[in-house]
Amino acid sequence: MILSSMGKNGAILTAFALLTTGAVTLVQQFTAPKIAIQEKKQLQGLLHQVLPESAYDNELYLDCTQISSQELGPQPSYTVYRARQQGEVVALVMQSTAPNGYSGNIELLSAIYPDGTVAGVRVTKHNETPGLGDKIEAKRSEWINSFSTQQVRSQDDRRWAVKKDGGTFDQFTGATITPRAVVGAVKNTVLYAQRNFNTLAQAENSCNPGES
Amino acid sequence: MNLNMMSSPYKHSHKSLTSVMMLVTLAAVPGILAQCYFFGAGVLIQLALALVCVTLFEAGVLYLRGRKIWHTLQDGSAWLTGLLLAVSIPPLAPWWVIVIGTFFAIVFVKQLYGGLGGNLFNPAMAGYVLLLVSFPVQMTSWLPPAELMHHQVGLLDELSMIFSNYSQSGYSLEQLRSNVDGITMATPLDTLRTDVSHGLTVAESMTKPVFTETAGLGWQWVNAAYLLGGLFLLQQRVINWHIPVAMLAALSLCASIGYIFDSGNQPGLAFHLLSGATMLGAFFIATDPVSASTTNRGRLIYGAAIGVIVYLIRSFGGYPDAVAFAVLLMNMAVPLIDHYTQPRTYGYGAKS
Amino acid sequence: MRDFKTLFKDGVWANNPALVQLLGLCPLLAVSSTITNALGLGLATLLVLVGSNVTVSLVRNWVPKDIRIPVFVMIIAAFVTIIQLLMNAFTFGLYQSLGIFIPLIVTNCAIIGRAEAFASKNSPLLSAWDGLMMGFGFALILCVLGAMRELIGQGTLFDGADLLLGPWAQSLRLDIIHFDNQFLLAILPPGAFIGLGLLIAAKNLIDAQLKAKQLAPDAEQVKGPRARVTSLD
Repeated sequence: MILSSMGKNGAILTAFALLTTGAVTLVQQFTAPKIAIQEKKQLQGLLHQVLPESAYDNELYLDCTQISSQELGPQPSYTVYRARQQGEVVALVMQSTAPNGYSGNIELLSAIYPDGTVAGVRVTKHNETPGLGDKIEAKRSEWINSFSTQQVRSQDDRRWAVKKDGGTFDQFTGATITPRAVVGAVKNTVLYAQRNFNTLAQAENSCNPGES
Repeated sequence: MNLNMMSSPYKHSHKSLTSVMMLVTLAAVPGILAQCYFFGAGVLIQLALALVCVTLFEAGVLYLRGRKIWHTLQDGSAWLTGLLLAVSIPPLAPWWVIVIGTFFAIVFVKQLYGGLGGNLFNPAMAGYVLLLVSFPVQMTSWLPPAELMHHQVGLLDELSMIFSNYSQSGYSLEQLRSNVDGITMATPLDTLRTDVSHGLTVAESMTKPVFTETAGLGWQWVNAAYLLGGLFLLQQRVINWHIPVAMLAALSLCASIGYIFDSGNQPGLAFHLLSGATMLGAFFIATDPVSASTTNRGRLIYGAAIGVIVYLIRSFGGYPDAVAFAVLLMNMAVPLIDHYTQPRTYGYGAKS
Repeated sequence: MRDFKTLFKDGVWANNPALVQLLGLCPLLAVSSTITNALGLGLATLLVLVGSNVTVSLVRNWVPKDIRIPVFVMIIAAFVTIIQLLMNAFTFGLYQSLGIFIPLIVTNCAIIGRAEAFASKNSPLLSAWDGLMMGFGFALILCVLGAMRELIGQGTLFDGADLLLGPWAQSLRLDIIHFDNQFLLAILPPGAFIGLGLLIAAKNLIDAQLKAKQLAPDAEQVKGPRARVTSLD
C-alpha cells in the first residue's frame, strides 16, 4: 500500500519535473537568440561609449584577447578588444581594475591609442559611497569624460593625478580617494597598453570561436 | 515635569528630569565655547536654529497626539537632542541640514516611538546618521581651525553662509575651506584616513598643518572641554561612570593594540581619544538614559562595545568617524544586554 | 460575483500581501528605489502569481496531498525562470537593473502562500482572479513606495522608464522638484523601511477612521432604545 502510493507519487513528481523543465527549455530555446543579440548590443554600446565608431572598421566586439597581469589589477583575466582599420590595430579597449577605491575595487574599461592618448573611459562596476564617490559614473557626472584626449607621456607624468596632488584631474567635494584611484588605474592601464601594444595586437583572437 | 528617575532598586535620587537636563546642558557649555573659539561662532547659529526647530516639531507632534505641550516640553529632553545635534554637524552647514535632522530626530525617532522613554534609538544620533548618509558633502565640510584659514569669517559672514551658501564677501564654503594653495582641508580624522589610503604613513600625514598638536589643532581642545563637562556630570552623579569609562577603556585598548602591531597605518592612543566626537560621545551621547543599558554590568558591556565599534569603523570602515553609528548599533543590542544582565534580586541566592 | 469582489478587496486592501501579510518584503524593499524598477518587478511578480495560481488550480485534483508542496515549488520555479528569460530577452536594461531580484521572486512567500491557501482549493477562474488581485495589490504598493522614494530621493518620476517600455517612454520622465542635493536616504535601503512603515501606518489610520465611522451610527442606535427605556421610568 505504502509502496504503491510512493510509486504513484514518484511518478507524479517525475511527470511535473519533466513538464516544467520542458516548458523552461522551450522558452529558453525561443529566447536564446534574442538574449544573445541583447548582450551583443549592450557590449557594443559600452564599446562605442569609450571609442567612437568612426575610429575603426572591424567588428570590435569579435576581436579580443585575454590577458592577466598584476599591473592591470587583481582579476584573473582581463579582456582586451582590438580596434582595427584595414587590418591594422589602431586602438585597444582594455578592462582593468582600480584596487584602491574607497570601498573596494573599481572596474574600468578604457580605450587607448598607441601613442598613449586616451579615447574614453567608463566605470563598469564599483561600490563607492552614493553621493560622494559615485560621481565616477557617466550617468551621474561628466567627470569620467575628462580623460578623453588626455595623453600619458611617461611613468612620472605629473599631470596624471588629481588637483590636490598637483595633477590636472578634478577631485570631488568630500571625496578624493575615489578619483585618485581611478586616475592612477587609468594611467597604469595606458602605460601597460603602450609597453605591450604589439604583443596585444598580435595575440590570437579569443572572442570569435568557430566563425573565422 | 516632576517625573522621578526610576531605576531599580528604586532608591530616590531627588533629581527631576528637568534639573538633569539642565545640568547636562550646563556641562556642554565648555565644549561649545571651545568649538566657537576654534571653528567660529557658526555653532551658536546652528544651536539657535536647532532649539527653535525642536521646540516647534515637539510641540507640533504633542498637539497632534493630544498631549499637554508646555508640560512635556519642560522636561528639556527635546532641547538636549537639538543641542547634541547642533554641536555634531559642521558649523557652516546650510540651514536645511539642521531642520531635516531635528525633524527626523524628534518626529520619527522620538515621538513615533511614543515620546521620551519610548524611543529605542538615541534621537540626536539617529538624526545625525540620517544627515551623514543623505548629505555626505555638507556633513563632512568642516571648516579648518580659524588660525589655518586663508579667509577669516565673522559672525555675519557665517549667518549668510548658513542661509545663502555664500559669505558676505561672496566666498563659497569650498573656498573658505581651502588653504593658501587652494586645496581644501579636511578634519584630522579624514585627512589621516585619506593619507593612509594614499600610501603615506601616519607619521608623514601628521606633518600636515592640521596636526600641529597631538590630535589635530583645535579638535583636542574641544575634546578636552567635553571631557571637563563629562567629569562635572560624573561629579554631580547625573551619569554613572560605567558607560564612559568602559567606552574610553575599550577604545584605548584597541588603539594601543593597533598602534603596537601596525604603527605605520594606525594613529596612537591620544589621537583616538582626542579627535572626532570621542569625548562628546562618551559622556553626553552614549550615556542617554533612555536608549542606553540600565543595569551596571550591562552599561559596562554597552560602553565597551561602543568603544570597540568606534575603533573598528574609524580604522577599517567607510566613514572617518563612528560614534553615531556605534551608539545606534549598540542601542539595538540594549534589550538583549539588559535581559542577560539583570541583577540578582536582593534576598535570593545566586543561581547554582 | 460576490467572490470576485471580495477577492479584489482582499488583494488590494484588506489582505494586501505587502501591507497586511508583509510577505515578499525582500524584493519590495530592495528594488523600490524608482517607479520603473518597482513597476517591472511588480509586473513580473503579478505574471508569476497568475500563472502559478492557474496551473496549481488546474492540477489540484491530480496532485496527492503529500507531494503538493514540491509540485507547487516546481511550478513556481518554472514560471519564474520563464519570466526571467523573457525579461532578459525583451527588457534587457530592466533585467540588468533588477538583477538578482527576478530569480528571487521564487522565494516570495506570497506566491506559494496563494498557491497553498487559495489556488489548491478553488476553480482556475477564481484562482486566476485571486492571483491577479494579489499581484495587483503587491505591484501597487511597490509602485507607491517606488514613487515616494524616487520623488523624495531624486525629485523625478518614471526615470529610466525606457528600460521597461521601450525608447518612446523616455519622454515619460517627469522632473517634479529640482534638488541641488539628492536626499540619498530615500534611495538607500533604510528609506525603503521607513517608507513602508509610513505606508502601513497610513493604512492603519484609514482603517481606524473607517471603523470609527461605521461604529458611530451603531452607537446612536444603541442609544436610541435605551433612551426610551429611561423615559419609561
